[in-house]
Amino acid sequence: MDVKKKKILNGYHVVFLVQNIMVGMGLLSMNNSLSPVGYSQWWFPILFGLIANITLIPMIWLALQYKDDDLFDIHEKLLGKFIGKTLNSFLILYSIVLFAAVIQNYLDLIQVAALPQRSITGHLILFIVLTVFIIKGGIKSLARFCIVTFFLTGWMVYFLRWGFVDGEIRHLLPLFNFTASEFWDATKKGFNTLVGYELIMFYFPYIRHPEKAFKHASIGIWITIFFYLAVGIVGVMYFTEWQLEHLLFPVLKLFQAVDLSFVERIDTFGITIWVFLILTTAGAYLWTAKKGIDSVRNKNSQYHIYVTAILTFIIINLPVSQAMRTTLYENTFYVSYGLILWPILLCLVHLVRRKVKR
Amino acid sequence: MKIWKRARQVVEESKKKPSPAQSGNKPATVQLAAIKKDLTDIDDAVFKDFQTKEGLITVVYLSSLIDPLILHKAIILPLVNEQKEVLKSFDPMDGSNKEKLIMSIVNGDTVVFHHEKQQYLQAHTFSPPERPVSTSEMESSVIGPQDSFTESLKTNLSLIKRRIQQTGLKSKDYTIGQETNTKISVLYIEHLVNDENLQRINDRINKLDFVGFLDITILKQLVEDNPFSPFPQYGATSRPDVAVNSLLDGRIVIAMDNSQSVMVCPSSFIEMFNSPEDFYNRWTTATLLRFLRFAGFFITIMLTPMYISALSYHPGILPYELLIMIQESRSRVPFPPVIEVLFIELVIEILREAGSRMPTKIGQTIGIVGGIVIGTAAVEAGLISNTLIVLVAISALLSFLMPNFLMSNASRFVRYIFILAAGLFGLLGQMLALAWLFNHLLNLTSLGTPYMTPVIPRSWSDLRDSIVRFPLAFLQKRTGLSRAKREKKPTK
Repeated sequence: MDVKKKKILNGYHVVFLVQNIMVGMGLLSMNNSLSPVGYSQWWFPILFGLIANITLIPMIWLALQYKDDDLFDIHEKLLGKFIGKTLNSFLILYSIVLFAAVIQNYLDLIQVAALPQRSITGHLILFIVLTVFIIKGGIKSLARFCIVTFFLTGWMVYFLRWGFVDGEIRHLLPLFNFTASEFWDATKKGFNTLVGYELIMFYFPYIRHPEKAFKHASIGIWITIFFYLAVGIVGVMYFTEWQLEHLLFPVLKLFQAVDLSFVERIDTFGITIWVFLILTTAGAYLWTAKKGIDSVRNKNSQYHIYVTAILTFIIINLPVSQAMRTTLYENTFYVSYGLILWPILLCLVHLVRRKVKR
Repeated sequence: MKIWKRARQVVEESKKKPSPAQSGNKPATVQLAAIKKDLTDIDDAVFKDFQTKEGLITVVYLSSLIDPLILHKAIILPLVNEQKEVLKSFDPMDGSNKEKLIMSIVNGDTVVFHHEKQQYLQAHTFSPPERPVSTSEMESSVIGPQDSFTESLKTNLSLIKRRIQQTGLKSKDYTIGQETNTKISVLYIEHLVNDENLQRINDRINKLDFVGFLDITILKQLVEDNPFSPFPQYGATSRPDVAVNSLLDGRIVIAMDNSQSVMVCPSSFIEMFNSPEDFYNRWTTATLLRFLRFAGFFITIMLTPMYISALSYHPGILPYELLIMIQESRSRVPFPPVIEVLFIELVIEILREAGSRMPTKIGQTIGIVGGIVIGTAAVEAGLISNTLIVLVAISALLSFLMPNFLMSNASRFVRYIFILAAGLFGLLGQMLALAWLFNHLLNLTSLGTPYMTPVIPRSWSDLRDSIVRFPLAFLQKRTGLSRAKREKKPTK
């Protein structure tokens, strides 16, 4: 069966994997994180899309040189066993912390918005167990789940209609009303909405048509950008600059603008169905961590998933101050910027090594 | 039941000993006394001696499996009238193989022993009481053929074979069940079926190790990919037209003796919502009905949980007027919504179960008890709210929309998971349960094929016969699910 084969991801799997891993908590607060540039923020998703697409090139190029290896193996091959394994251990830690960050950010929001009287422990356990279930089926299971997620959540873009109708289209201009430092600030904070597509370096060896992967990944990125652009435009039209700066989750406010006769507050519904998007993102990091442990220990084992899950549960329940936790999570996101740029360096190492060999 | 054990002992013994044929000697014919010994205490076993011109003849048979009229016409009359060459009309048997002799007697054949020639002959006289072909009660339809399978394998095969008249339709027989020796027949069209699928189902049938097969549903559960799932992974039908339709799509159909339905493999989730009538109706009607059934599945598992989460956790989700209405109707109810829902859902299950077990004549009582006592009195007593009664009734009705009975049962079970999840975590719990459901369905396979095709597309043309049933002119390709050898259906 297809489980035994290694090349299991078709083109559409890649599209939806890239697309759904990117969309997560970031979208809910995107307008807020881009607020340093004020009303000019709406076209930033396009800029980010371009950056993502450009940074995708070295990733795919490097992966094409090592068709059967993921980033963990490439590290070991390029940098030697010792440095590679140390680096991989850091990557594992990074994935676990991100896994925890994604889950905790979401569940904290749920606690505020949907289940105010409950502690998060109960649904945290349920959530982690569910992620483990998904990941037990491997990357293909996650990819299939991504497809379902797309169709279950994608239609919510329709909810923006009310915000669009009530909004003020003149907010969209001028386009470049910001200083360089504001631009830098917004990019730094806002680009984390795009983080997730770099995981293609880890599931690349499973792709059936590696030479087409760049095309498929780009399609995935631009589908995401379409959603971001829609939210960006409607957000800018609907909110004032002050609101953009101070509302933590503007998308929820946009949902509240929805006026339906049979449902009053669509935001509760929206935020709970968001769990699918969080599950795909969290699942991807869990899978990466599992693969990392596999590669460091040179052994494939399902137990690595359970170990990772338990570790995450412990990290989330550590008695650490909220401020420290937030700093940790934020800095981990900055690490992922590093991870996005990292392949450029690896490409150079690869070229140098090839020259030396000759 | 001694005979079964005996027969098996004989098999085992014959396996241990090298057969006489191998040792080189001429095999000795089994003595009639030996057969008699094996058939002791089987009081319907008949040994009749006839003195004919050709010598003494003994006829052995089990009277319960044979229609006396047939026996009389086919065997006794010719023997008594001493017709010429009568013995030649019977099939000769290998007289040295006692196990085979006994098996054929037990199968309902008549064994004739010629004393002088020491020769065994066999006549096919198996004719147990059978009910005639009638309309399907499980899957009735307004238009389309009305005949349905019966409990006889022979009848079922004839119902299928008279619809596909070609030699490409193969039917391979197996005997399964250690004690029951049940006959099954694996049907497929040779030039369409996927060999890998066929190989897989053959392997699974050969590996079967089970005592008795009373219905095809038992076989179905034993050869399923995931026996722990609440969902049926193979199709089942009691209608020959559905079976034939799947055969034409390159599927495998398995029929079993004593079972009035056949199983179809592989099969997908969406097909569980297809009714045979869909192909006889116009495509617009068919699409509407399919959509209704498919949406019905999700509404039936989500409706009452929604009531729980809206009232317990997110009252803000309901518009003001609706909230007031619901709260008014349950103002006297002393329980939290979860208990209320669980209570009334269980009552509905009990009513359903009691209704299906009860003799039809008392069945009306159930309507009265259910309608008046539960419906009106419970509301008046303040045990449950009016609104909930409506919701539960709707979700119970919706669960009957599915043409596949096992699927409808699965939806009943899954609904309780959703109710508990909603009771624990409100809407979030429901969404987590939905995620679990999708993940489970996505990982299910039916004979190695993804259960959720065409969500996981094997081929895009599958979408034309999914929730939307395109006009028949568009359905030119066989489904990717069955991976048929010839994808395209022939055109003119």
